[in-house]
Amino acid sequence: MPRYLLVLLFLSITPSWAADVRELTWSEMIPPDAPVQETSDAPIHDLSKLADILSAESAPAATQQSPAAPVVPSLDGQLVKLPGYIVPLDVTDDGKVTEFLLVPYFGACIHVPPPPSNQIVLVKFPKGVELDALYEPFWIQGPLKAENSSSELADAGYLMDADDVYAYQQPAE
Amino acid sequence: MYLLRLALASLNNRKFTALLTMLAIALSVCLLLAVERVRSEARSSFASTISGTDLIVGARSGSVNLLLYSVFRIGNATNNIRWSSYEWLAENPKVKWAIPISLGDSHRGYRVMGTDTGYFQHYHYGRGKSLQLAKGRPFNDVFDVVLGAEVASALNYKLGDSIVLAHGVSEVSLTKHDDKPFRVSGILAQTGTPVDRTLHISLGGIEALHVDWQNGVPAQSKGRISSDQARALNLQPKAITAVLLGLNSKIATFALQRQINEYSGEPLQAILPGVALQELWSLMGTAEKALFVVSLFVVLTGLIGMLTAILTSLNERRREMAILRSVGARPWHIASLLILEAFSLALAGVLLGLLLLYLGIAVSQGYIQANYGLYLPLSLPGSYEWSLLGAILAAALLMGSVPAWRAYRQSLSDGLSIRL
Repeated sequence: MPRYLLVLLFLSITPSWAADVRELTWSEMIPPDAPVQETSDAPIHDLSKLADILSAESAPAATQQSPAAPVVPSLDGQLVKLPGYIVPLDVTDDGKVTEFLLVPYFGACIHVPPPPSNQIVLVKFPKGVELDALYEPFWIQGPLKAENSSSELADAGYLMDADDVYAYQQPAE
Repeated sequence: MYLLRLALASLNNRKFTALLTMLAIALSVCLLLAVERVRSEARSSFASTISGTDLIVGARSGSVNLLLYSVFRIGNATNNIRWSSYEWLAENPKVKWAIPISLGDSHRGYRVMGTDTGYFQHYHYGRGKSLQLAKGRPFNDVFDVVLGAEVASALNYKLGDSIVLAHGVSEVSLTKHDDKPFRVSGILAQTGTPVDRTLHISLGGIEALHVDWQNGVPAQSKGRISSDQARALNLQPKAITAVLLGLNSKIATFALQRQINEYSGEPLQAILPGVALQELWSLMGTAEKALFVVSLFVVLTGLIGMLTAILTSLNERRREMAILRSVGARPWHIASLLILEAFSLALAGVLLGLLLLYLGIAVSQGYIQANYGLYLPLSLPGSYEWSLLGAILAAALLMGSVPAWRAYRQSLSDGLSIRL
């Protein structure tokens, strides 16, 4: 008999417990008479303004490589072959690099400024080269164009429409 | 020809085993091709998403991270950058154009991006294609929104519809900006890139959404600011998430990158999208290779299953072979019969596998694009896929030669004399 009573007790308790749930919205958790806070115009990370003040004290940000470093005009139009590392700019759907910058060393070393513009060749290679890793050197071959420009607005430096791009082999000792 | 007929007739006699073997091969072929297809499509869709942007600038994090959240809408920004930094960038003489980007809100799982109209002009994808509006015009009111093609088609929105944006990037959002609805002013044409899954609003719109938020909580009754009141306010953004830059001279890329990374105003990071993509691929490359090797082994398992089935059947078919020999078949006839059997099983498996693959792609295409942003086209297999299939068939031929060799060696008397 007590067992039946227990069951009855459960039956009577459960629904009333369910009815007690109150659906709450997040805004109800803020007291209605809470003071409205003043909006501040300060940007999200205002502390960074400190850097502006400090910058007067510190050295000027990295003296930049001359963006229009002089080029050797006699190289213009010559058919050349040059080894270097590929920094991809434009990549085709199947992962081939069709436009890249050729640099003498790969940019892992951040202790010195990047190479000046006469140490960079902008290469266009419509056939595309498959690049497995950024740290592999390549030969580029083709006619070199040397463009001297005093303004920063034009492509100053060396350009090439490469005829061939192929992996660099360590020369035998 | 009669050999092939015989081989098929013999297989027909053992329909059930043959069918199961074929199914095993078909499933393994389907898996191999699916892995290959997903791999190549993921690559090409990543590669075709951004083009013509020389540098991406954001708060300092990692190059892959910055690329993923600014362009692919994967993951979240670590921090915002100040508006004054954007102005500094835009004024730089090396910079041709600068597009500010502000992220963090969403609409039913699709990300909302605040930007300016320069985005529609300068953002390029897939080798120099620019964004086109299929309908309407770019936003020019604070509460205008331009939808990506997929957002519009999936949620069935038309020009002039009113939509409510949500705070945060979860699909089911509990915190909505429902006091400030937006109106659809334009719908972009399909691009096959994450742009399709993005809602574009003006930077002022992003500011207006949050103008009455205080301490990370939407304003309560008194502090609320309505749409019309917000319009009248100064909606100049104070912070944005990232900036896309186009340069006047590509050779100046490194120079400007260095200049940005060393900017004293606040910590910034500039990345070359091509280099970051390459880094992402070398990360993914390992996982891709592992998947590829696993699926190759599955194919191998399928083929070995076929070999087992044929070898086991050899014993029960000693009679068949002997009868064939006794009516004049030479040992090489028997051998080629078995090779043909293996080859036709594998061929049927490959064809069924292709069928399964295309069926699978056709069925799951919409789901995969909606959930993973990956478009799997129903295109014919490429040369690499054909060569994979060819290699499977060649392997089947090679495997078929094992039972063929055994049958070749069995003598005529082997099947005729019944040993009890």
